[in-house]
Amino acid sequence: MTNVAMPGTYLGDGTGPRAWLLTTDHKRVAWLYLISLTAFFFLGGAMAVLMRIELATPAGDLVSDDVYNRLFSLHGIIMVWFFLVPSIPATLGNFLLPLMIGARDLAFPRLNLASWYVFIFGSLFALFAVVAGGVDTGWTFYTPLSTLYANGWVSTAAFGVFIVGFSTIMTGINFIVSVHTLRAPGLTWFRLPIFVWTLYATSLVMVLATPVLAASLILIVLERVFGIGVFNPDLGGDPLLFQHLFWFYSHPAVYIMILPGMGVVSEVLPCFSRRPLFGYNAVAISSMAIAVFGFLVWGHHMFVSGQSAYAGVVFSFLSFCVAIPSAIKVFNWSLTLRKGEISFETPMLYALFFLALFTFGGLAGLFLAALAVDVHVHDTYFVIAHFHYIMVGGMVTAYMAGLHFWWPKLTGRMYSETAGRIAAIVTFVGFNLTFFPQFVLGFDGMPRRYHTYPPEFQFWNVLSSAGAVVLAIGYLMPLFYLGWSLFHGARAPDNPWNATGLEWQTSSPPPPHNFETMPIVTRPAYAYDMKGLEHERFSPHREEAAP
Amino acid sequence: MSGTESVAFDTPRRERRADTFAMWVFIGSEAMLFGAIFLVFLVAHIDFGPAFAAASKRLSLPLGTFNTAVLITSSFTMALAHGLALHRRWRATIWALVATAALGVCFLIVKGIEYGKEIAEGLAPLLGLPFRYAGPDPVHAEFFFGLYFAMTSLHALHLIGGIVVIAGMIALWGAASPANRLRRVVAIGLYWHFVDIIWVFMFPVLYLINR
Amino acid sequence: MSELRKLTFGYIGLLALLALTVASSFIDLGGFNVALNLAIAAAKAVLIAMLFMHLTGTLPRLAVAAAGLWLIVLFGLTLIGR
Repeated sequence: MTNVAMPGTYLGDGTGPRAWLLTTDHKRVAWLYLISLTAFFFLGGAMAVLMRIELATPAGDLVSDDVYNRLFSLHGIIMVWFFLVPSIPATLGNFLLPLMIGARDLAFPRLNLASWYVFIFGSLFALFAVVAGGVDTGWTFYTPLSTLYANGWVSTAAFGVFIVGFSTIMTGINFIVSVHTLRAPGLTWFRLPIFVWTLYATSLVMVLATPVLAASLILIVLERVFGIGVFNPDLGGDPLLFQHLFWFYSHPAVYIMILPGMGVVSEVLPCFSRRPLFGYNAVAISSMAIAVFGFLVWGHHMFVSGQSAYAGVVFSFLSFCVAIPSAIKVFNWSLTLRKGEISFETPMLYALFFLALFTFGGLAGLFLAALAVDVHVHDTYFVIAHFHYIMVGGMVTAYMAGLHFWWPKLTGRMYSETAGRIAAIVTFVGFNLTFFPQFVLGFDGMPRRYHTYPPEFQFWNVLSSAGAVVLAIGYLMPLFYLGWSLFHGARAPDNPWNATGLEWQTSSPPPPHNFETMPIVTRPAYAYDMKGLEHERFSPHREEAAP
Repeated sequence: MSGTESVAFDTPRRERRADTFAMWVFIGSEAMLFGAIFLVFLVAHIDFGPAFAAASKRLSLPLGTFNTAVLITSSFTMALAHGLALHRRWRATIWALVATAALGVCFLIVKGIEYGKEIAEGLAPLLGLPFRYAGPDPVHAEFFFGLYFAMTSLHALHLIGGIVVIAGMIALWGAASPANRLRRVVAIGLYWHFVDIIWVFMFPVLYLINR
Repeated sequence: MSELRKLTFGYIGLLALLALTVASSFIDLGGFNVALNLAIAAAKAVLIAMLFMHLTGTLPRLAVAAAGLWLIVLFGLTLIGR
């Protein structure tokens, strides 16, 4: 069988480019996002690889300082706004949210499609900035560097990010309204899968924080294009105020990036340990708590920027507080595994790696929340290592877990389990090899954003660069075996993992309007201890053996 | 699906409820955008109160007051359009919408006259135009006028957006079902009133507070 | 049509508040000018929200409350350091 478009399913419901580009089906919009985000992921990843190759030796022998500045700026801009922020919500979230709440589609299907076009429109500006010569401000666009001194395509890139912000807000509004108004009969708030809770919390942050970023970017563009010097110190403008506005968005944006990953892991861990999620209510409420607390801590990015010592102490204290709901989750996930019948399928491997890397990165975050330690390691590779452990080790790993977990539902095909497990392990090894040395480098005082360094740092840098190559292989592998499975994979049953959740009750892939008969919910989200689920599980190995 | 725009809903009533909620979430989002801009103004005002007070006296209070009245009236006609649409008096609804959009255009014209006056007096520190301000502390006065132009033009852009949507709605009026007409009037109404509320705060902050 | 009476009442109230706020700016009340002007603006916003925008129902109020709370956070935590 080589036909990707299966008749009777959403994949077979019109196959031309027109049917895909003008679709309002949330499942197809998810694919549009998936393809565009994958392209951005590898574009941003290529820049990271170039940087790591440059850093393999202390001298600046591959790229000049100016090119290096542009590489890390564009790597950050692309990875944050064109991959991480929309990653899980716009792809898996878009696909699964209506299925999980038992709805035929999102509340506003056309708004959903429009959000993708807005995303593409905004990304054209960013890509133009890449091709035309880049930006050298770092992804943070700090003033007055970005307004008075930088000579790259700052306005173009900032405007692209500004436009992509609208696409984020559209998605956020759509999700919030859908969760409130479209839940199936019987699906109370505390029966919702945690993935839905985290998408809701994420949407809240998207809707309330993104406009503040938009405001600060508008003011940068106004200053550069129209000469209205809002952040210009010569006029009495306050460059620090830009940092306040920027981090009021960008710290919560960290939770936009990690919360959906937490949601994915909360789905995967119970399924492959055959146990209900431990402390469901605590996990659900801590998702909301993270979204709210996440807004109270932005000043910890500004400890050395000249904000008052009083503000520093307040923000430091609040930053420690935000660790509490995250820790609640980690403990609950761990206790879910206890006494479980654990099996190590690919999604489970990724989810366990998430658990390890997120915990490690989160603990490093506590060091940075401490005022005195932060002054020591501020703007060093310690910070780089910390947030890559959360963003890449946490979020991207969870994204891979989710992609493998729901791939049978997305495509109706099974991927090669062996290839999946190998890729997961290669990713885990490559990731740690890349980023653990950076903790050491940062603690020893190597600053971020330089293309050269003293020779004594070379040992750890070589390890890190070698790890980057392994990591790149780990991320390239799924491209091949998942792509192959699209055409040659075994047909997936409706519920290959024998999981709970409404999305597994419909066919794989689902019909155009999701359910043949609209579901009614009578059970809590993770009823793995209830009868009726113990029939034999699908074994991908056996299916693969048959030609 | 009977009478709903989105396949997700069973009944127009549920869809209208979701519409209204979505508009309020959007308004909350927009409030954060303008909130951030107001915060920039507030911080500057805390730092340079006297300079801002002197600069704000150069704005035209009569034109600003007139424009506030125009926008309040447009909100009133928009509210009328909503009331009329509820009673399915479509012809009258269209006239109320036309009046609303016309008042919006009137606001923009007056705003344009104000801008023209300020540019002629050399009070517009943008696009390299000459800035000739005779009062005390011209550096911070320049900051005030920069913020004034940034804030009012952002508001004006929102108003232009509202006018364009009303025009589009009227153009598509004949093709829309009664349920969809009502939904659209409710949605644009909420947006329009919100833009009015922004001006209600911007007017005293820019024209009055510093006097 | 009591609806019409309600809207007209709101309209006249808004114009009256506008007159009041402009008039107050000509009287020197010291620091109270700022407070009075902002209070009048808030009163106008409430009038518009309640009478023109029909701010009723749990969900819309939830959205407004969330935005209000987050604005307090934005202003509060930015200004504590100053």
